[in-house]
Amino acid sequence: MTPRRYLRAVALVAGKDLRAELRTKRVLGASLAFALLVVVAFSFTFVRAVESLRPVAHGALWLSFLFAGTLATTRAAAVEARDGALEGLLLAPVDRSAVYLGKVLSTTLFVAAVELVSLAGVVVFLDYAPPAGALVAVAAVLVLAAAGFAATGVTLSLVASRSGLSGTLVPVLLFPLVVPLLLSGVELTRALVGGRPVGGWARILLGYDAVLLLACALLFEYVVEG
Amino acid sequence: MTVLAAEGVEKRFGRQYALRGVDLEVEAGEFLGLFGPNGAGKSTLLRLLAGLARPTDGTVRVEGRELVPDAVTPRRSLGVVTHRTMLYDGLTARENLRLHARLHGVEAVEARVETLLDRVGLARRGSDSPGSFSHGMRKRLSLARALLHDPPVLLLDEPYAGLDQRAAARLDDLLDAEAAVDRTVVLTSHDFEAGLAHADRVVVLVDGRVELDRPAGDREGFEATYRDLVGLPGGRPADAGGVGGP
Repeated sequence: MTPRRYLRAVALVAGKDLRAELRTKRVLGASLAFALLVVVAFSFTFVRAVESLRPVAHGALWLSFLFAGTLATTRAAAVEARDGALEGLLLAPVDRSAVYLGKVLSTTLFVAAVELVSLAGVVVFLDYAPPAGALVAVAAVLVLAAAGFAATGVTLSLVASRSGLSGTLVPVLLFPLVVPLLLSGVELTRALVGGRPVGGWARILLGYDAVLLLACALLFEYVVEG
Repeated sequence: MTVLAAEGVEKRFGRQYALRGVDLEVEAGEFLGLFGPNGAGKSTLLRLLAGLARPTDGTVRVEGRELVPDAVTPRRSLGVVTHRTMLYDGLTARENLRLHARLHGVEAVEARVETLLDRVGLARRGSDSPGSFSHGMRKRLSLARALLHDPPVLLLDEPYAGLDQRAAARLDDLLDAEAAVDRTVVLTSHDFEAGLAHADRVVVLVDGRVELDRPAGDREGFEATYRDLVGLPGGRPADAGGVGGP
């Protein structure tokens, strides 16, 4: 299989998810509402209760990342379980890791979109006002964390759906695996806004992203085999 | 020429055997009817032949190439319809077919999609979501999906399940057309009438083993043999549709 054909397969799988989402809003509708609710709830609770909202804003941002991200990931994977849709993709004469990467790409875009809206919500509702450069860097951290989160979430959601496990088990399995992502994301956010060096945490985030993506891509064949 | 072969294929789920040493060869252009009671292993065998599952032991070959999960080339030769339609309700019928055509590397995608929509009688519903289709229409669209890349081998798992008489008759016409173009077809069915109408050869699976493999004959003769094989009591009413088990 040529690299061009491989990348085309990745794009086709991701593209069909984006096209379907534009029409149905099945993933983003609920996830965006949930993310904003978390931010608004933090706002109601803390705006008058604490002097510095910055740590609260970071908490709201990463908590919404965790919960809204999980919702987006499980919903994106659930589409594949409906009426054997994933098996249709597996029958195609393309490397199956391309199917997986396409799914991870679209899910990353969904999770990142939810988190960028959360970030905007934090700016609006929690008076979060770091320098513009730091805000852009935080957005980049969210996108990078979304990639690792999607890579793991897609795999676990497919494991759950194909083995008949309840979808509610996905967060239980997912959260421990993404602790390094969350930890590095939170620390990077704090360092970026505080003007401190980010090298070590950035390497952890990128390295863990790469490990999750590679490990899950290798496992995909076993996850989907009947 | 053998286009599809299972050699000593075994499939276990835990300690439970679904298939026990199945040997089967399907020749080019043959229409094979695969029958058996519930739990006999028909669908499992079809999934193995489609590359959707891995045998615990044994080998599946498509046009001489071993069908291992990461083998891309043999999948080009297979069109598969199972009881699940493998369609996305978030896409239109046309978009579903386009997606699969592109994944299969079909040239002139638009023309092929329109041809298939027309062939399965859904040309006017191409812009609708399969979610708005009847069961029969979804089945036909699924068949169109399986035929997009003009595969030499078509695998059909219980294609008549859940279809009313009109939808089944329509599917009959489509299968007749497929048989006429010398496509190799393997069809599992509970419905003898429907299965035998097309089959050149019948295979009966019982408890994961091939118990009968012979040319298709008359329905009465086959049904009597089948009843003996699966231990069904005699005197079943002639109009009993399902013969998959007591």
